[in-house]
Amino acid sequence: MAARAKRYALVIDARKCINCKACVVACRAENGVPLGKSRNWINEEIRGEYPRLLATFEPEQCHHCQDPACVRVCPTGASRQRPDGVVVINQSDCVGCRYCMIACPYDARFFREDSGVVEKCDLCASRLDRGELPACVETCPSKLRVFGDMNDPSSDIAKLLATRQYRVKKEEAGTNPRIFYLL
Amino acid sequence: MDRRKFLKVAAGGAAGAGVATTGFLLTTAGEKPASVVARREVPTTCEMCVNKCSMIAVVEDGVIKKLNPNPENPKSRGMLCARGNAGIQQVYDPSRLKRPLIRVGARGEGKWRPASWEEAFDFAAQKLAAVKEKYGPQGSLWSSTESFQESFFKSLGLAFGSPNVERHPTLCLASVNLAYSLTYGTMPSFDLQNAKYIIISGANRLESFITPDTMDLIQSATDRKARLIYLDPRFTVTAAKADEWYPIKPGTDLAFILAMLRVIVEEDRFDKEFVSTYCVGFEQLAEHVKPFTPEWAAFETEIPAKEIVRIAREFSDAAPRAVYYAGRRSSWYRDDFSMRRAQAILNAIVGSWDRQGGMVPNGKVELGELLFLPWDDPVAPRADEMDKNFPLAAKGDGAYLTLRENVLAGTPYPVKAWMVHKQDPMNMLPDQAKTIRMIEQMDFIGVIDIQMSDTAWYADVIFPESTFLERQDPVEILPGIWPVVVMRQPVIPPLHDTKPTLEIVQGLAKRLNLSQYFDYTIEQWVHEQVKDLPVNLPLEHLKQHGVYVPPGFPKYGTTLKPEHRFVTKSGKIELFSERLKEAGYDPLPVYQSPQQPPAGKLRLILGRRAYITQANSTNNPWLSSFQPENDLWLHPTVAENMGIQDGDKVEVSSSVGTVRLKSRVTQEIRPDCVFMLHGYGKRSKWQRLVYGVGAADAQILETAWDKVSGGAAFHETFVKVRKV
Repeated sequence: MAARAKRYALVIDARKCINCKACVVACRAENGVPLGKSRNWINEEIRGEYPRLLATFEPEQCHHCQDPACVRVCPTGASRQRPDGVVVINQSDCVGCRYCMIACPYDARFFREDSGVVEKCDLCASRLDRGELPACVETCPSKLRVFGDMNDPSSDIAKLLATRQYRVKKEEAGTNPRIFYLL
Repeated sequence: MDRRKFLKVAAGGAAGAGVATTGFLLTTAGEKPASVVARREVPTTCEMCVNKCSMIAVVEDGVIKKLNPNPENPKSRGMLCARGNAGIQQVYDPSRLKRPLIRVGARGEGKWRPASWEEAFDFAAQKLAAVKEKYGPQGSLWSSTESFQESFFKSLGLAFGSPNVERHPTLCLASVNLAYSLTYGTMPSFDLQNAKYIIISGANRLESFITPDTMDLIQSATDRKARLIYLDPRFTVTAAKADEWYPIKPGTDLAFILAMLRVIVEEDRFDKEFVSTYCVGFEQLAEHVKPFTPEWAAFETEIPAKEIVRIAREFSDAAPRAVYYAGRRSSWYRDDFSMRRAQAILNAIVGSWDRQGGMVPNGKVELGELLFLPWDDPVAPRADEMDKNFPLAAKGDGAYLTLRENVLAGTPYPVKAWMVHKQDPMNMLPDQAKTIRMIEQMDFIGVIDIQMSDTAWYADVIFPESTFLERQDPVEILPGIWPVVVMRQPVIPPLHDTKPTLEIVQGLAKRLNLSQYFDYTIEQWVHEQVKDLPVNLPLEHLKQHGVYVPPGFPKYGTTLKPEHRFVTKSGKIELFSERLKEAGYDPLPVYQSPQQPPAGKLRLILGRRAYITQANSTNNPWLSSFQPENDLWLHPTVAENMGIQDGDKVEVSSSVGTVRLKSRVTQEIRPDCVFMLHGYGKRSKWQRLVYGVGAADAQILETAWDKVSGGAAFHETFVKVRKV
């Protein structure tokens, strides 16, 4: 049987987010992210007036777009997309020009002063290569992220995408993001 | 897809979560030059909070790189929270305690000299012996909080001859534990995974603390499996996720519950068969709740009467998959015990006992015990006079606030030496100035801890303990609906000149001529604990898996036999309590309308956030970064009246103290309350991230307690706020 190309993606059920920051700390530990920077974050919004209030929490990180603007603008090819869809940065090729940071519609990248290169979520590529889930996915108390190969119809993520309604952020940017937020 | 499932597709190595060392090719996206790293995975147990989740430590070249959740423990639900993940920082914290210290300046001045272990032991033993000589062994106080090695420390206090072992429950969950114990004879767990209707008073479980209940609650609430009703003066994360949030008037939850009881009784909505088979005192209860109409409760609580009626009906319709959830810290008001008792009674009359989706008595697992030489029981009565003050409360835990009053008054006898094991009374107790006076009257203070807490800052000698990732602990049973046995084993050797508690206890015992009671090693202790567990090679199993999960749980209905005897006076579930009556208390919960803040004052309420729940996590850089300092929540109309804008510095004063911190003007709180997070404004300079940053609630909280359990009443302080 011919192997189908993998396409890793994330489904996020933001309703389950309790803003507990476990994903942020797990990522910091796993990827050695310096304090003050973060590869993932939680958008917080509180609306309304006492006592009619609503709060939403929305975890976010690199969207691993199908047509990543960051890859297009990178002058050295340091930003590239793996065959499995994961957008990565080869740090030894990064010259720190930061064009990618401007191009990214999600503001998912940051510049590291200590190493002079740009960094972002790579879905814990080294963990994936060991057959482990990304740290944020694994550690989450609410289990609100579903990670997997959306091209594999038997995967949980493909099933969710086939049966549930979802949205993506900033569709108009035209980058075809691969984080799907369940409605 | 769970972790193990995903691992199946992986090559070798990592799949067997043992302690074997493997050479591993580390590649990042296949692009970095491969380097050989000695990589180990060690399953162990978290100690960042009391919940004890299982984790797998990843060690590369001797350095702990990552703590991952251990999916084998059903109780930790395959997760690790922010604090668990930040456990690494505890080990590599540059300001942790690295060697024994002896004070050289005045108490609280923060001047120390490093000492050898021999010298520190000699110093402490001489001081303890001098106090014993002058005041008797009861002149010493031994304070400790739940940890796997706590029993060694408590044993030293008892073997020394002191009855004064003081634990933390009266600052936490004493009232709820006692209320359920007097009703059911035990404190049950709540089957939130299967409940259909959940009511919570103030227990902010989705925000304040991450436990299995948190994870079950979020799944139940968001997957529409359960209806969640939440009462809290503050709009919390739990409020945000609840189906209904009511900003109840503080201190009136009991009125809400009494009205629910009345509706359920009057409308014949209780479980008659369950009540007649398993409960006593229903007639008295029915008579007792008659006056508590929903309209009356609406006036007290500010929750509309028709909503109270509807909630009572929905609750009884959903029973037995309906629970009034107990929560954890229950030290709020002077009548806290009565409020918790009413919850327990409400859950009983709808029959939500020992059934799926209701409350379930905790499952049991048997561990072995090492036999050691027993010491004579201490002869003196306890200094906190539990028998006189709180005759029904758990004596072994003590009552912290009455203890402090007695020590300061010198009654019933002088207490002049204080040994503290991993507790921070300076921040745990209200009225910090009073705690400092208690400290000042001590001839000797010794502290065992991993960091320089505010209490350690005032000690005479400090014994640095190895962190949880550097030591072997006794194995521990985590009780609950899914009881498990967990192992904490050393992930790396100690980085500094630190010792586990048992060795600190043995060092002191040797000099106090008490060695005969501690004549064992941790290995012998653990061996005796686990040797009869019904699993092949139990010790090896625990070392390799980090957890032993006994089969056959959850079990429902083990107590649902008419002949079952509950551990209560009548042998039944006690709606009306003869024991309470005999002890001079109200046998049924009696409501007193709480005192309201006078004009110009506001009620201070407390709460937690999961990444810094206890005061010991605010100095962890990975955690404090989310909340570098605390602030005072103020409702906008109140703030406007006082001319306070968001972010302004304010002064908050009570009858016992004054603090300054930033304001947070927010819609998320009732206009009659203010709120601040716990764990800031430290006095210890070694708590470098929070030393003098923000404010300590302990400095302004006034002393008050619940008269039945002795539990602190932390929400009874009225404060004045002004812009500075």
